[in-house]
Amino acid sequence: MKKWLSMMSLFILVLALVACSNDGAEGEGGDGGSDGETVELDFAVFGSTGYDVLIEEYQKANPNVKITLSEGEMNDVHNNLFTSISAGSGAPDIALIEVSQIAKFMQAQDRFYNLNDYGAEEISGNYLDWKWQQAQSVDASFQIGLPTDIGPTTMFYRTDVMEAAGLPTDREEVAAQINSWDAYYEAAKTIKAETGKPISDAPQMVFNALRDQQDQQYFNEDDELIAEDTVKEAYDYTTKMIEEGLIGQNALWTPEWGTAMAEGSYATMPGAPGWMVANVKGNAPDAGGKWDIAAIPEGAGNWGGSFLTIPKESEHPEEAYAFISWLTAPEQQLKSFTNNGLFPSTPDVYENEEFLAATDDYFSGAPTAKIFAEAAKSVKPVYMGVNYAIVDTEINTALTNVAVEGADPQAEWDAAMERIKEQLERQ
Amino acid sequence: MAKTHTQASISNQPPNKKKSSLSEKTKEAISGYIYISPFFILFAIFGLFPILFSFYLGFQSWNGLGEMKFVGLQNFEWILTDPLFWKSLSNTLIMWVLGTLPQLIIGIILAYALNSALIRFKSFFRVSIFMPYVTSTVAVAIVFGIMFNDQDFGLINVILGWFGVDPVSWSTTEWGVKIAISTMVFWRWIGYNTIIYLAGLQAIPNELYEAAKIDGATTRQKIQYITIPMLRPILILTVFTSTIGALQLFTEPLVYIGRTYREEGITVVLYLYREAFVNLAYGPASAAAIILFFIIIVLSAINVFVANRIGK
Repeated sequence: MKKWLSMMSLFILVLALVACSNDGAEGEGGDGGSDGETVELDFAVFGSTGYDVLIEEYQKANPNVKITLSEGEMNDVHNNLFTSISAGSGAPDIALIEVSQIAKFMQAQDRFYNLNDYGAEEISGNYLDWKWQQAQSVDASFQIGLPTDIGPTTMFYRTDVMEAAGLPTDREEVAAQINSWDAYYEAAKTIKAETGKPISDAPQMVFNALRDQQDQQYFNEDDELIAEDTVKEAYDYTTKMIEEGLIGQNALWTPEWGTAMAEGSYATMPGAPGWMVANVKGNAPDAGGKWDIAAIPEGAGNWGGSFLTIPKESEHPEEAYAFISWLTAPEQQLKSFTNNGLFPSTPDVYENEEFLAATDDYFSGAPTAKIFAEAAKSVKPVYMGVNYAIVDTEINTALTNVAVEGADPQAEWDAAMERIKEQLERQ
Repeated sequence: MAKTHTQASISNQPPNKKKSSLSEKTKEAISGYIYISPFFILFAIFGLFPILFSFYLGFQSWNGLGEMKFVGLQNFEWILTDPLFWKSLSNTLIMWVLGTLPQLIIGIILAYALNSALIRFKSFFRVSIFMPYVTSTVAVAIVFGIMFNDQDFGLINVILGWFGVDPVSWSTTEWGVKIAISTMVFWRWIGYNTIIYLAGLQAIPNELYEAAKIDGATTRQKIQYITIPMLRPILILTVFTSTIGALQLFTEPLVYIGRTYREEGITVVLYLYREAFVNLAYGPASAAAIILFFIIIVLSAINVFVANRIGK
């Protein structure tokens, strides 16, 4: 009995040692790359970035660097990254992090290289200030990532529905007529009366549009919950419109939401950023020419956009930095925009002739670049906080309950705040 | 490998004995253990270690990155006083009953039908009833999600409309969500359980039925006195696996209600997943896992008790 037990444990021990020793072997030959060796970099992204084209271009110019791109679904990519930096193994050399998640990873500063050590400060002037600050520690000493794209918000609208309601269809006139949220509400009543259609189909779209215009959102810089003072007004406005039947019930990203786009069962999509263009085209491929883009009432906000970071595990931070600083440089951001519609975070590009000339036939020939660039200029930096997602999820639940169940808005708001506090307590 | 052997043989040398190679029996034993070792090694790494680690984490406060801090029973207190945890538990139990009970009863009936001499194309039916089990859970949840669409034009709502029932909001109402998820569970597992019952039925020797026939037993008596008692071990197995499976229900609700974690459809595992990987509260999440572990033990014990009385 004893004999085989010791035998067994020894065997497992040997195997475990064999399993562990693999890791050690990989560590050798670090610091390579300087003398003609090939440096391999793993690069994890989500969504459709179109970076593969740019990577090829970079590899042609730098034959000693080989970059492997892995793509995944947004939440999965962030979860994997979080798990691997928390376990201390398995992170890529370069990780793309979305703006709503960046604060969460900022907490783990020590697991990432400070890009200021590699010269990030010198190039900070290339980017929009607020965007740069989002990936910066509060005292500005630590820079976790370089900015990729941004999501300045505008208002997409259906020209056919606007016309049926007797409202203007020209983008200048639309912006002039719907120049405030009160005017938006009036327009909603007109559209409802004339066509029977809601002005927007997803409660979240209206709420997010209003929320993204605030200087402060769910948390202040001390991570105290301030939603009551900042976004309650947006919530009240949205729920009032829901109760008057001016906003539909669809939840974002659902199949019904996509169908509504194709059918034109509503008039406007407020708070739509640049990357939403691809979504609309994907969901409503046949609706070309029926959509257009105008400025959003009361100034643009920002929804989405990302950063490129280098986790501490990488053995080639210098090469990784050289690549990401190239990838996020104005010239390459311009290419990303023309290839894939990622709106640049480098204001210099906004003056570029080629860039400004971009129009989109799908959106009735709207000068997309010009409109988004205009929006980008009025965006203000917002501190999102570590627990942004918790608050956002619960407020969405409340909105859904009001829209679908006809629940009482105030009671739902209180319940949501209760649930949020319950969860924040445990952090 | 070879190194292991020699080391082992040296370490197992009793002193002052003539050096000999390992005895046949020991050699056989060693090779046996080596053959079964992959499972135990994998289990130790991916099963045992995480289990022990979450027991440890249950008493710590940890966000996955920073320092762990010992907080005693605080996590358990949080979980046990969180109304949402109890809600998730009751959701799980309701879905368990909704999804599992009909499954087991209909499973037996189907197995009986498939086993009877009256049905042709038996293999075809057996294969097709097993098909749902091999489809991907995520795919099932997506397809059912489309069928259980909230809108008036959703498939299920249209069918209900033929019977004059108002459209149901399947993703937000208390019972709508549960029925939708239970339907997925039912659809996916019914075939699996049917096949197991079928195997059980076929293992019952025919002589018993023949003897009963000679004694003049009715079909009902045959089922009551032969089939059910002989099926008892199989019944216990299916009740057990379904119970544990139902308590660990996760994928279907996650895909179906999405990342809204709405309280109508949140299950215990979904609750602890949210706690750990969305809210980064690993301590409370582990505490919830430990509590779930004990709940499963208690329910399994009740299962044993009940199952033992079946067919007595």
